[in-house]
Amino acid sequence: MKIIDSFRIVWRNLWRMKLRTALTSVGVMIGTAAIVAMIALSLGLKESAVKSLENFGNLTEMDVEPMYYIQEEDRMIPEDERKKLNMEAVRELKQIPGIAAVMPMKRLYEQAKLKVGRREGYVELIGVDVNESAEYRKNDVEKGAYLSGSPQEIVVAYDVPREMRDVEKEKRDARRRNADSNRSGGGGGFMPPDMGGGEQTAAFNLVDKAATIVLTREYRIDDEPKYEKKEVRVRVVGQLRQSENRRYSSAVYAPLGVVKELNDWVNRSRGDEGSDRNTRRTREEAKKDKFEFDQMTVKVESREMVESVVKALKEKGYEVWSPARELETINKFFFVIQMVLGGIAAISLLVATIGIVNTMIMSILERTKEIGIMKVIGATVLNIRWLFLMESGFIGLIGGLAGLGMAWGAVELVNYFGASGGLLDGLNMGYGRGGEEAEPSKLAVIPAWLALFAIGFSFIIGLLAGIFPAIRASRLSALQAIRSE
Amino acid sequence: MANGIGELTVTGVNHSYGTGKIKVPVLFDINLHVNKGEFVALCGSSGSGKSTLLNLLAGLTKPEEGSVMVSGAEISSYSENELCLFRRKSMGFIFQSYNLLPNLTALENVELPLIFAGEGVKKRRAKATEILERVGLEGRIDHRPNELSGGQQQRVSIARALVNQPGIILADEPTGNLDSKTEQEIMNLMKQMNKENGTTFIIVTHEQEVAEQSDRVIYLQDGRVVQKRTRPA
Repeated sequence: MKIIDSFRIVWRNLWRMKLRTALTSVGVMIGTAAIVAMIALSLGLKESAVKSLENFGNLTEMDVEPMYYIQEEDRMIPEDERKKLNMEAVRELKQIPGIAAVMPMKRLYEQAKLKVGRREGYVELIGVDVNESAEYRKNDVEKGAYLSGSPQEIVVAYDVPREMRDVEKEKRDARRRNADSNRSGGGGGFMPPDMGGGEQTAAFNLVDKAATIVLTREYRIDDEPKYEKKEVRVRVVGQLRQSENRRYSSAVYAPLGVVKELNDWVNRSRGDEGSDRNTRRTREEAKKDKFEFDQMTVKVESREMVESVVKALKEKGYEVWSPARELETINKFFFVIQMVLGGIAAISLLVATIGIVNTMIMSILERTKEIGIMKVIGATVLNIRWLFLMESGFIGLIGGLAGLGMAWGAVELVNYFGASGGLLDGLNMGYGRGGEEAEPSKLAVIPAWLALFAIGFSFIIGLLAGIFPAIRASRLSALQAIRSE
Repeated sequence: MANGIGELTVTGVNHSYGTGKIKVPVLFDINLHVNKGEFVALCGSSGSGKSTLLNLLAGLTKPEEGSVMVSGAEISSYSENELCLFRRKSMGFIFQSYNLLPNLTALENVELPLIFAGEGVKKRRAKATEILERVGLEGRIDHRPNELSGGQQQRVSIARALVNQPGIILADEPTGNLDSKTEQEIMNLMKQMNKENGTTFIIVTHEQEVAEQSDRVIYLQDGRVVQKRTRPA
């Protein structure tokens, strides 16, 4: 028997018993709708929680540091046993499945000032391994290009040009305001820009512009503090995209060698001076051998892999500083919620399954003669089983499709009333990004996998319910069946 | 004894109904052979065992003793599934009460054995239409059984039995529910199919007029073959 023919026969039989089919399907419909709606609600709440988490930073980017405390054993890890953030660690991290790129970083221990023309602003200078970070940043450059390895090149974060101030203009404005206030005799002064009185200026294009990094170090001669300035001429070759990660909003990235050199210059003011040149070289060589990065940032391939990456990092002795740490807790919590809600809903589906079994047994009793005729004219045992299994499966499928439609309607209603009632804002913990571009959060969501699962599951439930009746039908004696009325 | 397609051999068959101590014997030491293309009538009074014998020939009941060989196959040793497959390929059935599926049209009823045989839509529709035309129902193919007369329903039943081109047709009181005019029409039709197709017909009947039109009549009484009569040529 061809499958398409069996489906025709099944459909005809179901159509023949329209009311019974519909009533039996209602049970499956309610069960499926309950399961889908419950899981959709749980998924929606989880999504909202994760979105709230994302407001603290991009979940697929995480800072990695050596682990210094084992929570499970409640003990500190001795310093000599801790992981070292060196190139070996970079290689180790890159081997973890799910890590797309690793960016080791070395910070400048002093705040640096970036000057471009009349504008200037304080920035965080970060040294990066150009080769490693190029892979990490390949999709993050908004304007210009990424570092090529030349020591005179820098790349600025998205907010850097926005936070730089036009110093000359501010001085002129300050003078004017002072003059105005003196004329009017008012004592109310304005805060100087350095103290937060300045307005944030409009972004201007930094890319392909010559810039100067200015550092100041303090040293003492006869307990008298003295200051020395160092200026490094660079070229801004690129600007990064706006990142969800606010931690590096004022970062300027330079080749690692540049930052190392500047750190050495800063450190010389802290007691390194006075040593003879040979001693310094030996120390530098020793440092080179034991060179460690301050921090490493890893990029994970997708949000779904974050949890496994965090787990692998912890197993390897690294500490992760990212909102992603909370993902595991959120996932566990909502998994339990899903199981509880799904379990409650599953009871109604169990009742529906019994309903299908009952309907199918009734159907066999009514169609005993028909089964006998089919067996006599050539239907095999398998043909009969298949027909009854499919009939039962289709009742489940019809109920599943209707249940999915019902759940979709319920989800739309919940989202509509949830959004208009401001419930979602409360769930977002006040960190909603808002704005026109931001996709509104939903209280409940039915992802494609859930819809497919619901349809498949209801069909399987129908099939399972049909096993016993199908076996019973196929075991009927053809002779007895054909004689029955 | 080996036999070919359309031939039928029963050897030493004993059969009884019931289980355990309460057993009602119905057939005793039945031996018979039917040649390909023969038109044989099984006659006898009520309770003589003719329908039981027909059920044994169809594989609907397994004999307690003896063997039933149909078209070269020892069907008494077949499993339920093997019997279903065998019936599909080698046998056709005609019942007294027609046994058509009430929700299907005449055409769909005739198509049913071909559906189970896995025949494609176009081919089976053509075959079913052709056989319905041959039994004189060309204008009634889309009618359901309740829209057809008894004679017409039996014609549909004959068409259904013949559509798979089986070697043997087994008919249980095929004219039992029909008036004498229709009875004769159905007998003529079966005889015609027997001649045109060379199909072996074994019909169970208690009507003398029907039996007289057969090539051979086998009389049963109290579960035994008491007389075999061949019609003079």
